[in-house]
Amino acid sequence: MSATSAPAPPQHVMGPVERLADLLLVRPGPYARAFESLIVGLIVLSVASIGVQEIPTLPGWATRALRMEEVVVIVVFSFEYLLRIVAATRKFAFIFSFSGLVDLLSIAPFFLLGLDARWLRALRLLRLLRVLKLQTHILEATVAERTRVLAEKNALLEQAQAQIRAELEVARALQMAILPATFPATSGYAGAARMIPATTMCGDFYDFIELSQGRIGLVMADVSGHGVPAAFFMAVARTNLRDMAAHHAEPGACLAHTNRALCAQNPLELFVTMFYCVLEPTTGVLRYANGGHNPPYLRRVAGTIEVLNGAGGLVLGAMPDVEYPDHEVQLRHGDRLVLYTDGITEACNSADEAYGTERLVAEFQAHGDGAPGSVVDGICHSVAAFAGTAPQSDDITLTVLAWDRP
Amino acid sequence: MKIAIETLAMATVVVPEGRLDFGAAPDFQRQIETALAGANGPPKAVIIDCAGLDYVSSAGLRVFLVTARAAQRASVSFALCSLKPAVREVFDLSGFSRVLAVLADRRAALAQVSQAAS
Repeated sequence: MSATSAPAPPQHVMGPVERLADLLLVRPGPYARAFESLIVGLIVLSVASIGVQEIPTLPGWATRALRMEEVVVIVVFSFEYLLRIVAATRKFAFIFSFSGLVDLLSIAPFFLLGLDARWLRALRLLRLLRVLKLQTHILEATVAERTRVLAEKNALLEQAQAQIRAELEVARALQMAILPATFPATSGYAGAARMIPATTMCGDFYDFIELSQGRIGLVMADVSGHGVPAAFFMAVARTNLRDMAAHHAEPGACLAHTNRALCAQNPLELFVTMFYCVLEPTTGVLRYANGGHNPPYLRRVAGTIEVLNGAGGLVLGAMPDVEYPDHEVQLRHGDRLVLYTDGITEACNSADEAYGTERLVAEFQAHGDGAPGSVVDGICHSVAAFAGTAPQSDDITLTVLAWDRP
Repeated sequence: MKIAIETLAMATVVVPEGRLDFGAAPDFQRQIETALAGANGPPKAVIIDCAGLDYVSSAGLRVFLVTARAAQRASVSFALCSLKPAVREVFDLSGFSRVLAVLADRRAALAQVSQAAS
């Protein structure tokens, strides 16, 4: 044994009476509850019997039974009183405490005056106070314990939620990172984009793809729904389209192949609306195809608005063999093209009115002649001002392309 | 949104009312799945009467697509009818009106599904 080890603390060994007192009075459990019920029952019985004893015509056997009852009550109360003294750590303090005196008063008259001291028995009602106090104490202890358990569970939940939130933030950062931050450097052309998710993860996406011979692909897309499933589908759709864009010159063929690929890997039965166009920078020719997406608007330098509403095909991911017709439009210097998702036109104000295509067209017509970044800002600002305090229900995404003389 | 279901001899008619958006789509889908399963086996046909439908988002469109597929698998004819102009526009734009049976009114829809069933 090492010299530094402390001697075992002196242990108090409980005798049988102390153990009984502990079991019946101190430790919460079935015995203590049963004993308490017994005491309460006897208090009520003995107080009730005071009145019964006053009946003058009471038969002899009843009087004897009541006397017997009183003896039993006195025995049990005396036994309880002694047990309480045994259980008390500071015995004199207990004897002279309020409840100690009440306990004594409920038995003392018997020993001093015998069975005739019946009216003094009413003092026993005071003992109920102790029971009530005890029950309040137990209730408080129970509430405190439940509160503690609840607080622990809450802390665990908060921790789990914080972790999920942190992971979603990382996922969102990754999602934003795969979208191009800048438009490819192309003489005379400029582009800007903005994406404002309604939830942490977004089902919308846009893309600028650098193709062979200086051509540039522009994409605007919207996956059905929001959140993590939509974000995953968006990532798959974007990758597939980029892959197809490298191999197929025609936008319609790109969409058709992307659609087939998406249909083959779509367990959640999601779909994506997608507008895809390819810009030939030297000539300003824009070829496009539309898979169920809102048609973009082209603002001519004179301020007139054209809709790129050539016939489209079905949304992508819904049915495998869909054709997407190709269309062509000639851009001129000073033109602006806006691609957007329905989060803009369906942004609602607190009166549940939608921003709508008319407001978008009006805003684009009035203020669409600036640099792409400021046009994007202007439209976003206009939508935000319209929506006011109403919550954003759908992802908002837009890109603006401009062709000005280099 | 509110959803009523009418059981006719020829078809079960689902009547949605209000806005079918991201929030309302799951409940709508469950109700349609229940209608498709039927109390005593699948009905002959399911018609969605959109007369009271004010708005459909992409999440709502997805329910129509999922339902069309499920109906096809269960050999239940499926049609939509009575689309308001705003809803019709969404169906046209997304290409859905070309792949789903979209009829002018309920009578036309009932005629269509009874013809498809025979």
